[in-house]
Amino acid sequence: MRISLTPRAALVALLALPVIVLWPTWWVLVILAALWAVVILADALRAPDPRRIRVRREAPSQVRLGNTVTGRLLLTNPTSRTASLEVRDAWNPTAGLAAQRAALRLPGQERRAIPQTFTPTRRGEHRSRTLLIASRGPLGLARRSAQATAPGRLLALHPFGARRHLPSRVQRLREIEGLAAVHQRGQGTEFDSLRDFVDGDDVRSIDWRATARRRSVVVRTWRPERDRHVLIVVDTSRSSAGRLGEATRLDTAFDTALLLTALAGQAGDRVDLICVDRIPHLSVIGSTRTTVLHDMVTATAAVDPALVETDWELAARTIGERARRGALVVLITPVDAAVVHGGLLPVAARLARDHPLVVASVADPALEQLAAGRGDLEAVYQAAAAEQARGERAGVSRALERVGAHVVDAPPDRAPQALADAYLALKAAGRL
Amino acid sequence: MSPTSAPAASPAASPATSPAASPTTRPTPGAPSSADPAAERRRPLLTTLIVIAMIAALLASIARGFYRDGPLEPDAPTAQGSKAVVQVLGDLGVEVDVDRHTADAADALREGRTVLVTAPDELSADQLTALAESREAGGARLVLVQPDFVALSTLAPGLSPSGALREGGRFEPGPDCGDLAHQAQLLELPSADDGIRGAATLYRTSDGARSCFAADSGALVAAHDGVIALGSADLLTNEGIGLADNSALMLNLLAADGELSWYVPSANDPMAATSLTPMGYLPDWAGPLLLWVVLVAVIALVAVGRRFGPVVVEPLPVTVRPQELVLGRAQLLQRSGARDDAASALRTAASTRLADRLGLRHESSLDGLIAALRPHVDRSEEQLHTLLGPTPLTSDQDLVRLAHELDRLEKEIDR
Repeated sequence: MRISLTPRAALVALLALPVIVLWPTWWVLVILAALWAVVILADALRAPDPRRIRVRREAPSQVRLGNTVTGRLLLTNPTSRTASLEVRDAWNPTAGLAAQRAALRLPGQERRAIPQTFTPTRRGEHRSRTLLIASRGPLGLARRSAQATAPGRLLALHPFGARRHLPSRVQRLREIEGLAAVHQRGQGTEFDSLRDFVDGDDVRSIDWRATARRRSVVVRTWRPERDRHVLIVVDTSRSSAGRLGEATRLDTAFDTALLLTALAGQAGDRVDLICVDRIPHLSVIGSTRTTVLHDMVTATAAVDPALVETDWELAARTIGERARRGALVVLITPVDAAVVHGGLLPVAARLARDHPLVVASVADPALEQLAAGRGDLEAVYQAAAAEQARGERAGVSRALERVGAHVVDAPPDRAPQALADAYLALKAAGRL
Repeated sequence: MSPTSAPAASPAASPATSPAASPTTRPTPGAPSSADPAAERRRPLLTTLIVIAMIAALLASIARGFYRDGPLEPDAPTAQGSKAVVQVLGDLGVEVDVDRHTADAADALREGRTVLVTAPDELSADQLTALAESREAGGARLVLVQPDFVALSTLAPGLSPSGALREGGRFEPGPDCGDLAHQAQLLELPSADDGIRGAATLYRTSDGARSCFAADSGALVAAHDGVIALGSADLLTNEGIGLADNSALMLNLLAADGELSWYVPSANDPMAATSLTPMGYLPDWAGPLLLWVVLVAVIALVAVGRRFGPVVVEPLPVTVRPQELVLGRAQLLQRSGARDDAASALRTAASTRLADRLGLRHESSLDGLIAALRPHVDRSEEQLHTLLGPTPLTSDQDLVRLAHELDRLEKEIDR
């Protein structure tokens, strides 16, 4: 507990000026200073003890980034004296707390609430570093301050802006499932139901045993296999820290992963997610279909890029442990010459032997702008460098496709849809 | 102590759901940097140095002895001091007191002691009057070192300065000197450039005054009614006392009475502060009042400058500008003038896009591409070959022109 002065303490000290004018001696000064100190100390000691104020926090634990939530700070004064309090709730700035400081009068044996509104501006975990309560004396000359124990934590979740693309993709999914009625049976499909034969049905799908039981001809219908396993691997290394427009690559990567999760959930597939760089962070494994999206949003909220290179061999081992043979593996990593030199290519080749493999990459839209620059000599040289970079990316994509991966490379505003479309294409082709 | 001070890098373990973790390698900007302890360690070193310097200064001042240095200071062993004269006078049995205030010198005069005034021209009119009055009361001898006209008109009206003696030299007592020469046969003075107060002053005498050691327009030593004016301060300095018979004159002159007051006028003499300073107009409560106001200002600063709780550190995630590599490569190309490399990058990209548009394989040759382009554009085969082939460029303008030409070609195909 500390005692501190208020500006009023200085104003009170000015009251001594007439006395000094009347008796301008040094010992009068000393007496006045001592008197002032006694008054200040007495005022501070008459303030109710801030350590006895009870604090309870009523705040939501999570909020989607861009939304606003309200919480309350409830202060109870168990003493009989009225306390005039100053409260500072020290959240980190990007938690977006509207007012960190509040002043209130708290009569004895009563409780008051401080309303708080949070509008986080950064994804991730936000904390209240400390909660300080200062209690002012009845004259307002001094205050006693103390820390209160009321830990606050707010998780700002990924905004998942790509969810507006979900309905159209689900619609397409339903169309594919409907189309499956005329599909050939084969790999990646499973028996759905029996129905009467109509013109145009493949005669090979007639179920003779069922037809024998009934008068009419009955065909079997098939639909894309459900309950497949999808493993999303997000690269959180240095290359994912690149800032594309407003957000980093990693933000778009999570947007992409979330859209795929939602879509796969609708298709009845099971989705797991791993974040890797030098160490694999097991993020979401084995959630049920109904909770997977929520779990994933919560788990990825606090993940930030790290300035390390990804260890792809380690990632491959982790994937081998987590994914059954035949499960769809989606690697969300930039398709860059640097990443491929880091050892992605042999790992991708190995994975593609056992799994359908999609490499989803978030392209840099600035590269396209640079490549279109024709203004002056510098712009033309930049355009040439951008074309070189794009050529390298195309070469890397081709190399990955040659080893059997399916590469999706799109700028941030199209990347989630592009991966969802690739997933639907795999479904429609019966490869999944 | 609140537990919220835990570091921000702790994993984001969501309570009831699946295991979750965050990168443990996340940088924590809130961690104290390593520069702070170094600064902490540097500060004692600085303190030690300052302390050592202070002790060295103290020791040096003790080693050379405590004395006040200045012209004709009785304790100063330097060239301009007068320690030699004072010490020899003491050895001769003369009781030498040092006065710094006019009041003390006046008391000495009243008691009949001989008083030497080292700088009469620094005295104010009040001080001179006080000296003159006490001399009349006591009748003691007063020795003035290089007095100016003002001092002489108050203390010895029979004397007046008659000129300056710039070049030094040797001076003999004249025939009408009498005992004023104090058995000195020869005086020697340095020139004006070497003297501590510049040129020596010569004095003219009138009604009953005597003079000695005459130069061209006056005398170096003059006396009138117990007031002796010495024309040069160099007669008394440690450096000048040894020249010729200077010492005979000074010792005999000053030791005559056996008691001597060495009066060095000082600025902090109460009588010297004759003019009123601006502070003198202030009332006596101004000082305490000012002190109190300063105190109140300090209190106000402390009160206003209070920091309510710690500064909150924001754990910002890292971001990297992704185009850095491309821009750096562009600058490298431009600085090294790699026109052909840049052109080949642009041509390859344009060729790839054209081949896409025309439905050719990327691996098809340049000739195949040109042959496929030929029916769609109104350019000759040579022109297309120059545009898309590896034709060397001669200037930067060519490169810009090539970029625009390639754009135009692609637009033609788009139509």
